[in-house]
Amino acid sequence: MHRPDIHQPPSPRSILIAVAIAFIVGSAVLVVAILPAEFGVDPLKTGQILGLNALAAEANPFEEQLIPHRTDSVEFELGPFQSVEYKYTLDIDAPMIFSWQADGELYYDMHAEPAGLGADYAESFEQGNGESRTGSFHAPFTGIHGWFWENRGSRTVTLRLHASGYFVDSTVFRDGGDYSRVINPVTD
Amino acid sequence: MLRCAQSRKLYALAAVTVLSALTGLIPTLAFGHTIEGSDANFVQAIDGPAVAPFIYLGAKHMVTGYDHLLFLIGVIFFLYRPKHVIEYVTLFAVGHSITLLLGVLGDLRVNAYLIDAVIGLSIVYKAFENMDGFKRVFKVKPNTKVAVFIFGLFHGLGLATKLQEFTISDNGLVVNILSFNLGVELGQIMALSAVLIVLSIWRSNPSYLRHAFATNTVLMTGGFILASYQFSAFLLQPAY
Repeated sequence: MHRPDIHQPPSPRSILIAVAIAFIVGSAVLVVAILPAEFGVDPLKTGQILGLNALAAEANPFEEQLIPHRTDSVEFELGPFQSVEYKYTLDIDAPMIFSWQADGELYYDMHAEPAGLGADYAESFEQGNGESRTGSFHAPFTGIHGWFWENRGSRTVTLRLHASGYFVDSTVFRDGGDYSRVINPVTD
Repeated sequence: MLRCAQSRKLYALAAVTVLSALTGLIPTLAFGHTIEGSDANFVQAIDGPAVAPFIYLGAKHMVTGYDHLLFLIGVIFFLYRPKHVIEYVTLFAVGHSITLLLGVLGDLRVNAYLIDAVIGLSIVYKAFENMDGFKRVFKVKPNTKVAVFIFGLFHGLGLATKLQEFTISDNGLVVNILSFNLGVELGQIMALSAVLIVLSIWRSNPSYLRHAFATNTVLMTGGFILASYQFSAFLLQPAY
């Protein structure tokens, strides 16, 4: 074991020089790299030369979409212990907003299936029992995105869904089969 | 001859400092050390006691918290006996536990950037102390234990601001904060063990003391970078 007392203590001058070096190097890193990369402040134009300014660029709230947005309105009737699944085809990152209301309690499961991968890769986002839900949705992957509703009560429930988003078509899964449904724009 | 050797040493010191500062650039991308991503979503969504997740978050925050770790490296740099390591680390832990609990439970709010700037300066202070700066330059000898305790208080306020960024549910708050605090201590023990292993291997080599001065200069540079970065954020970041 080496003991700490065998070294020569540093002189006050070299201590001050070391502090100055630490301060100057620290300030240089701040001005040359951190200010341009983190805050887009570029006093020495090093951010421009080193291409660091791009790191400070904030995410643009505007997101271009390639297809016009569409609205849809649909109504289902669910008898006791009947269920339906209704899904929109959305590309990755496509937004959708929705409200649904029912005149009785339904079990719901908002979920999505990635295109081409099928139900094994389905992801569920929210489940519960209720008469209505309102929300916004940002497609995590390209595929079909929507809801499963089930009437677990003993009387028939009517369900109304309004949605708006960058979807092209919708698919209904009901009574063991599925069919494509034409979007029905909301007009008033 | 002696002057020449000394200036050569200073050149080597400058080179080491510049190099390590440059390698330090790589993690600048993740500089703002906060709770992020899915962890942040979790903290916001939780309603009720969640012991294990908060222990995990506290430990993760400490293990990945270069600001707290740099300070601890400075603290244990010249502590050779396990008894002393335990003494100082306990003082630090008691200090930051007090302000973490008081901060979150007592809703004591301070600016996160300013606190993080002070935490950066605590690293500068400790490095200067390790260089024997107070004794040789200012001819004073501030109490090292009191300093570690006081800086522990500041580090705890920093921990508190990270949790205060979220609206945490009152339901189970005390249990969750205590769990987070326990996690912080566990993370600290894990990180310190790793640091102590590396330091003790290095200590068995005479280069340790030869480079002790340079190492503390590098530590101080890191402290200056963190402090100036956080202070810039305080001045330049828009407050939404």
